[in-house]
Amino acid sequence: MDLELTDEQRELKSTVARLLRTEYDAAAREEILRSEKGWSEEKWQTFAELGLLGLPFSEDYDGADMGFAEVAVVMEEFGRALVLEPYLSTVVLGGGLVDAAGTPQQKQDILPGLIEGEKLLAFAGYEPTSRYDLTAPSTTAADSGSGFAVSGEKSSVLGAADAHTFVVSAAVDGGVGLFLVDADAQGVTVEGRMQADGIRAGSVVFADAPATRLGAGDASAVIERVVDTANAALAAEAVGAMEASLTMTAEYLKTREQFGAPIGVNQVLQHRAADAYATLESAKSMALYAKLAITGEESADEGAGDSKSRHRDVLASKLIIDDASREISQESIQMHGGIGMTMEYPIGHYAKRLTVIPRTFDDVDTVSQELASLGGLIEPEAADLS
Amino acid sequence: MDQLLNQEEREFAQHMRDFYRTEIPEAIRYKVATGQEMGKDDLVTTQRILNKHGYAVPNWPVEWGGQDWTPVQRHIWLEEMQLACVPQPLAFNASMVGPVIAAFGSQEIKERFLPATANIDIWWSQGFSEPDAGSDLASLKTSAVRKGDVYIVNGQKTWTTLGQYGDWIFMLVRTDPTVKKQAGISFLLIDMTTPGVTVRPIELIDGSVEVNEVFFDNVEVPVENLVGEENKGWTYAKFLLGNERTGIARIGTSKVNLARAKAYAAMTRTSRGTLLDDPMFSARLTKLEARLTALEFTQLRILSTQVAGNDQPDPRSSVLKLHGSQLQQDITELLVDVLGPQGLDFIEAPATADGFTDLPTASVDAIRDYFNYRKVTIYGGSSEVQRGIISKAILGL
Repeated sequence: MDLELTDEQRELKSTVARLLRTEYDAAAREEILRSEKGWSEEKWQTFAELGLLGLPFSEDYDGADMGFAEVAVVMEEFGRALVLEPYLSTVVLGGGLVDAAGTPQQKQDILPGLIEGEKLLAFAGYEPTSRYDLTAPSTTAADSGSGFAVSGEKSSVLGAADAHTFVVSAAVDGGVGLFLVDADAQGVTVEGRMQADGIRAGSVVFADAPATRLGAGDASAVIERVVDTANAALAAEAVGAMEASLTMTAEYLKTREQFGAPIGVNQVLQHRAADAYATLESAKSMALYAKLAITGEESADEGAGDSKSRHRDVLASKLIIDDASREISQESIQMHGGIGMTMEYPIGHYAKRLTVIPRTFDDVDTVSQELASLGGLIEPEAADLS
Repeated sequence: MDQLLNQEEREFAQHMRDFYRTEIPEAIRYKVATGQEMGKDDLVTTQRILNKHGYAVPNWPVEWGGQDWTPVQRHIWLEEMQLACVPQPLAFNASMVGPVIAAFGSQEIKERFLPATANIDIWWSQGFSEPDAGSDLASLKTSAVRKGDVYIVNGQKTWTTLGQYGDWIFMLVRTDPTVKKQAGISFLLIDMTTPGVTVRPIELIDGSVEVNEVFFDNVEVPVENLVGEENKGWTYAKFLLGNERTGIARIGTSKVNLARAKAYAAMTRTSRGTLLDDPMFSARLTKLEARLTALEFTQLRILSTQVAGNDQPDPRSSVLKLHGSQLQQDITELLVDVLGPQGLDFIEAPATADGFTDLPTASVDAIRDYFNYRKVTIYGGSSEVQRGIISKAILGL
């Protein structure tokens, strides 16, 4: 049994960590955060040159032909540094959907540009009145003769303002289809917004926007798989952010003095920090669990993967990650006191990201309900005597 | 877990799975599976079968009946045992006094005690805690004063689990009251039939008489019953307590109990269908399942970084104890809640008189276990002690 990173993954981890330590410290991040775009083209190019944008894609499209395990390594380090660039929206979601659903020609048209850092994608799936549900879009796609025309409003679109191409889910043929729509096409209006954590998102209105269909057939299963992958990526990112947050908090408990002694001598704070640490270990375990769910399916023969167990395992992971993110972010602020609420001190920034993550793609209640509807994790027969 | 194991480990797991299900009497496993009380005979029978096949004390040195297993194999041995509802070897023998004697005892004391301990020909009790020495164990007062060839032992031990069955008791006693409290403690073995030893049962809120007080009134103990060196007992005790924490998460048992709660919930009707369909109940259930999975993976992560032969306790095992005990308690509470009002009756058997509906099988132990399991966050280093370890050893506070 080996649950540790491979040598190659370890090297990737230290390369990314080193880069972020030197070029993405709190001051550098602050500048990016306050810029108009909210992320840095220059950093994006650096990520592209390092090959980070092509990690999960095939060599046929200039990718690195690795898998989700490597993406998870990058996401964890991004979490530690609170990276603002649109990796999740472009590589994991947009790129993931194109890679999973696209025809070879479509992949050839899109992925090499993405991997080079030239092309940004965004998944337009969520809608203003349907919360986290992706299964029944009210956005429609109609046959326009030469292609399709997409109409409807999408919200919570990560990376909306800067995307070159949207991957849009829409009702078609009584099911759900995915469509590619150029951001500068006629009938596309984007309203960019900033999430509480500084990451850019937005709403997009499509009014008979010209579209091509991504692949063919019902896309529900592909969407579920790619969002599962994105959730597993978020789990890794959350672990990086939680670990950084807790390390910083423990350090603060050792150095902040009140009543003539470091506040960490107080048992009440020691025990709360210990609980937060135990929670972090659970979160690490479940980020690993989600990673294995995704990589397990990757390595299974095409079509032989068990999509139900993958989905179930990722949901279980999200349940723990969401609660852990909430606990550690809230406790980190509390243990820091007022300084934890200031924009000039990093702890609040971690708290913001860790507040957004549990509500991205789904929330604790949605996850819990869906996991229950799949029968949970333990078979009642485990109690039998056969 | 199976998919994480290599071919050899998978075969080993399958072997243990088959072994437990074919060699251990079904009647005993059924009792465990349905939460009925284990008698002394059930435990002795099981341990002797395990011992005959070399599976009672795999954690011991090979020459004394142990197995040359990897940490992963040991984990599989225990996990499969719990999943098969096989009662574990008596902890006082297998994971407490045995390893201490094997590590620190003289050749003579090893020969005298280890084979009988593995085969449970001697039933050991633990004499550590005292009325005024709980979490602060080193402040214990029971004294052993050397007089010629014997120690004269006076004092009181408490929380002696299953002491009513005990043949012998391993004790921490104060042999030097003049030095720092940790430096004056020795590890002594006492025959419980010696004159001056009195066992008094303590009735607990779960209705059990599981624990006892043991009194020592001028008890004469031959000096050859000392393990290791005089006044080195605290070192041996720390070694013992470190061993106690491994496997304390009881993940396999929690899986079985959660599966039981789930099976009962699926049979329980509500106005909306079964209890399993109830959104509030199922939310609670799925959270427990996810927490249990997280705990299992934390255990596997710790195991995968352990090398065979390295028995140094990993401070992260405090996380296993902390979360594992909380989960065990939460699962007992879930089981009570599945039963609803019928879970409140304090009963010993589900069968009722003619003309009445039998009570659900789980009702025998649900509320009793709820109260009994209050102990799991207290013993083996309370949750507060574990938090103290984490904050010091890991966070450096």
